[in-house]
Amino acid sequence: MLLDAREVNVRYGRNHAVKTASVSLDHGEIVTVLGANGAGKSSLLKALLGTVRAEGRISFDGTDISGWAAPRRVKAGLVMVPEGRQIFVSLTVHENLLMGAWCRNDDLETETEAVYERFPNLAERRHMPASVLSGGEQQMLAISRALLARPKLMMLDEPSLGLSPILVRQLFDLIRDLNREGLAIMLVEQNTRMALATAERGYVLELGAIVLKGRAKDLSSDSRLEEAYLGGKSDRASL
Amino acid sequence: MLLLQQLINGLMLGGLYVMVAVAFTLIIGMLNFLNFTIPALFMFAAMMMWATMTGNLPFGNDFLFAIFGEHNIWIAGAIVSIVSICLVSLIIERFTYRYMKAKYGDATEHALPLVSSLGFLIIFEHLVIGQWGSDPLQIESPFGDATFTIGTLIFSYPQVISLALSLAIVFLLSHVIRHTKLGRALRSIAERPDTATLMGVDVLRIVPVVYVITGLLCAISGILFTINYTSIDAYIGDTVATVAIAGMVLGGLGNVWGAVVGGLFVGILEVFSIYIVGADFVKVPIWGLLLLILVFKPTGLFGHTAIGKGKF
Ligand SMILES: Nc1ncnc2c1ncn2[C@@H]1O[C@H](COP(=O)(O)OP(=O)(O)OP(=O)(O)O)[C@@H](O)[C@H]1O
Ligand SMILES: [Mg+2]
Repeated sequence: MLLDAREVNVRYGRNHAVKTASVSLDHGEIVTVLGANGAGKSSLLKALLGTVRAEGRISFDGTDISGWAAPRRVKAGLVMVPEGRQIFVSLTVHENLLMGAWCRNDDLETETEAVYERFPNLAERRHMPASVLSGGEQQMLAISRALLARPKLMMLDEPSLGLSPILVRQLFDLIRDLNREGLAIMLVEQNTRMALATAERGYVLELGAIVLKGRAKDLSSDSRLEEAYLGGKSDRASL
Repeated sequence: MLLLQQLINGLMLGGLYVMVAVAFTLIIGMLNFLNFTIPALFMFAAMMMWATMTGNLPFGNDFLFAIFGEHNIWIAGAIVSIVSICLVSLIIERFTYRYMKAKYGDATEHALPLVSSLGFLIIFEHLVIGQWGSDPLQIESPFGDATFTIGTLIFSYPQVISLALSLAIVFLLSHVIRHTKLGRALRSIAERPDTATLMGVDVLRIVPVVYVITGLLCAISGILFTINYTSIDAYIGDTVATVAIAGMVLGGLGNVWGAVVGGLFVGILEVFSIYIVGADFVKVPIWGLLLLILVFKPTGLFGHTAIGKGKF
């Protein structure tokens, strides 16, 4: 077991955003977390990374990391690609990559070159401010930046948001490629169909609680999945 | 030649404004608030320099005279000044950033740091007045009036050295911000502190570094001011900082080299204003210019955006 989080609770004042949720993930696995807007998906990821205060026991790669601050968890290989990409637009493309490797002190050259080989668009613009990138290129940069941290587990928060259908397909190809290279992935998505086609297992969050979990194949044919999205909370959920 | 001499005097004065203006611009660029503790730090540095050199430290400083001797006591003054400013900067960081960040998530989205920094300024001025009074205080310049002349132009050694030191410090700072790992982290925190945390940057360990850097800038310029002009008082921070703010706005908020040009410019403007309209009116042209800039070019000469953070 790479990640094992038990009974995680997140509260913002009186707003109980994550309610006693337990999730786990194996080495080399892709697991998706689904749910409508405001279901608590981002809050759960932040709790796992340690950037919000949370209750619960989290163990990562065999170590209890519940009491660790976020920088220590990143160093241990738990890395997040945040919702909305959050590229540093006042830094160059290359500097963004280097920020991803903040926790490391070894040589980065081969890894940055590998990124540039994978994404020629980024290579061309490596010394330009990241603000010149298109939305799709920014998502590639956000994922590359996370790769530079040498993650064991990459958590992606709604990476397909705002991308055209072609780019969404490329993105999911990339996620599968990275996984084939050995990276474990936790994928938060509202694009349920693509997410379930990519992941092996899934969890469904509703109002902060896990209401459904299981193998991706079973979830895609489960009528309760649609129910979790009811209440007009999301018009993006497509089954 | 008289005009040229005034220009030189203005540049020397501007060198001191540069460091204070850069201190303001660093905090604006990184944390998005006008830090009113900067005048307090400047004044406090000058006061510690004076108190050490004249034997007025509250805990007694005979031992400093014993170690450094009458002649080199200014070195002790500089050390006492720098050390105390660094400590005070860390206390200020807690009350203007850290506790608010812990309580509200993002300290800089509120007007709170501005108000609490104003609180520090007032408390510091009144502590100093309570201890040493509000009258002007004098030191004897450790270097006498060491000057040299080029043609008919007169240069004072302490002033030339302080201008050079001031530019060297800013150059170093700008190099760190542009080309080092720490500088990258500073710029990323300036733009998105929460995302920097996702990369593993320990924001709560780096922000104090910024406070200490601004403290050092204030301390060095307060020390140099005391040596150069030999007379200070409890309100010296306000006097200097208001001009430095004008210089910073002129150069563009959050722009380090803009603050350098702006600081030098207001120094020259001040000297010429005294020459033309007299010392009593000197702030009128400086702040008049500031108001015009805010209306016609709010981004300053080199800034890109008027409001918002992340502009290094
Ligand atoms: N910093 C915060 N302070 C207070 N409440 C918050 C904060 N962040 C999130 N919330 C609340 O917690 C709940 C869960 O939010 P969260 O962002 O985790 O949902 P989400 O599933 O990621 O939604 P989305 O699909 O819109 O990204 C929401 O009710 C939200 O309003
Ligand atoms: Mg979210």
